[in-house]
Amino acid sequence: MLKIESLDVAYGGLRALDGVDIEVAQGQFVAVVGPNGAGKTTLFRAISGTVTPRGGSISYDGHDLLAVPAARRPHLGIAHVPEGRQVFPSMTVLENLEMGAYTEAGRRRWRDTREVVFQLFPVLQERQGQLAGTLSGGEQQMLAIGRGLASAPKLLMLDEPSMGLAPAVADTIFDRIQQIHREHGVTVLLVEQRVAEALESCDLGYVLETGRVVMQGSHDALIADERVRKAYLGL
Amino acid sequence: MSAFELFAIDFLQALVAGLLVGGTYALMCVGLGMIFGVMRVVNFAQGDFFMLGMYAAYYVATALGVMAVLGPYVGPVIAGLAAGPVVFAVGWVLHRFLVGRVTGVAAVGTEGEGHYAQIILTLGIALVLQNGGLILFGSLPLSIPTPMSRASWEIGELLVNQARTVSFGVAIVVALLLYLFLKRTPLGKSMRAAADNPEAALYMGIDVDRSHRTAFALGCGVTAIAGGLIASSQSFQPYIGFDFVITMYAGVVLGGLGSILGAFWGGMTIGLVQQMSTLVLPFQLQNTAIFVVFLLIIFLRPHGMFGRSADRT
Ligand SMILES: Nc1ncnc2c1ncn2[C@@H]1O[C@H](COP(=O)(O)OP(=O)(O)OP(=O)(O)O)[C@@H](O)[C@H]1O
Ligand SMILES: [Mg+2]
Repeated sequence: MLKIESLDVAYGGLRALDGVDIEVAQGQFVAVVGPNGAGKTTLFRAISGTVTPRGGSISYDGHDLLAVPAARRPHLGIAHVPEGRQVFPSMTVLENLEMGAYTEAGRRRWRDTREVVFQLFPVLQERQGQLAGTLSGGEQQMLAIGRGLASAPKLLMLDEPSMGLAPAVADTIFDRIQQIHREHGVTVLLVEQRVAEALESCDLGYVLETGRVVMQGSHDALIADERVRKAYLGL
Repeated sequence: MSAFELFAIDFLQALVAGLLVGGTYALMCVGLGMIFGVMRVVNFAQGDFFMLGMYAAYYVATALGVMAVLGPYVGPVIAGLAAGPVVFAVGWVLHRFLVGRVTGVAAVGTEGEGHYAQIILTLGIALVLQNGGLILFGSLPLSIPTPMSRASWEIGELLVNQARTVSFGVAIVVALLLYLFLKRTPLGKSMRAAADNPEAALYMGIDVDRSHRTAFALGCGVTAIAGGLIASSQSFQPYIGFDFVITMYAGVVLGGLGSILGAFWGGMTIGLVQQMSTLVLPFQLQNTAIFVVFLLIIFLRPHGMFGRSADRT
């Protein structure tokens, strides 16, 4: 469904991604893990079109994604839940979800997806009329995910959804993400620093370090790998 | 009549005049506030779009014969409204070919150099519009000839100027329509999203550059309608934008940069202060009074009356 080949991204002189290959098949749950500054957010930005790669290719669902303007990409079924949530602070919870449903598919299926989002995150239903900027961090993350879902995506990209959250809240978020993947058949691409949680639920994982994929493999293979266990799982 | 009664009447008279003038000022500030609110661009040419609005209304009223057909009462109002779409189109084209090149998603977040380019560009547009206006329209002061500008309704002891009252009513309706557009319609909401967080808006599939273009053109058009309405109670020449752009900025900053509702009340306050100051100050000091009040409010509330800071959260 998504195929990234030898992707190069640089900010000025600094190389953020260096020949990255990543593949996500329809219906999979793929995790990309790695330390701060590894280039995880940059990878997502390249997929969404807010940075322009220096080289490489990204194909999605039969499209050459790099030839599609950034504002059109969500309409192809790509939802990007950005790092740091980035809700629309001066708009209400419901308006934020409506903005998620700005895509053609989202608009068509708005009534159903709204119910799905409210079932996943009942607190959003209770807070419909509240300004998003006044929500707690956890609620904002739920809103950001709900907003992504409201676009009725085929591919849901989540950038560090657990960032800055209390462990209990982060666990809830991870549970919901798994639920979205299992029950609603959405392909998930997850970026995380919480390696244990991210690898636990994935079919396929990539380890990114300073702009390169240093390891990749199935869930079982990565969990069993000595280096991963030492460096990331603290075992 | 006692001295107190006389003062009370003067006071009410100034209050009414302030509200009426304030309505059109509010609309003109809303146009500027919208451009800043959505695009974070400081548009120095806004006064000149106001001026274009005045001339557009003038030519629609006279050369296009709208006054001849609709009469001297309805004609000026329709002409004032017609200034909106005319200047909207000018704003759209300017954004498409010039302003859009130094603003938008690419320039968001670039401090320094990005902003210098914007400032120089809008200053340049202002100069071109002023001097182009001088060539096209001439330097002779004009005004839309309507009997309403000199006629008043008498309410008790109060005299209420007809042209200003009509302008006030129309300005409020236009401001209200714009408010509903932003609050209720999908396009309006997507523009607010683009204003709140352009990057996230892009991830929603919103064409942020198009939102900016719409906001810029609408902002120009709305300010032009205010100009078109004021054109029937005041004479104007191509340099009039300069007087008004300062008042406009005072109103927008007063209301709180980034808040469109704030711009409305800021403009209203400016109108009130300007007219009320005539009670105690000579007519020539009107603008001084505006700035004294302006400085006071900024001193007390640095983020303006509607205190949202200009930074994004
Ligand atoms: N806009 C930018 N300008 C210059 N350098 C940037 C920019 N954004 C990111 N970088 C650099 O690119 C590298 C990768 O950053 P990126 O944000 O992709 O990392 P990350 O893996 O998402 O990290 P984190 O886990 O901390 O979010 C870093 O060295 C960072 O400093
Ligand atoms: Mg990151």
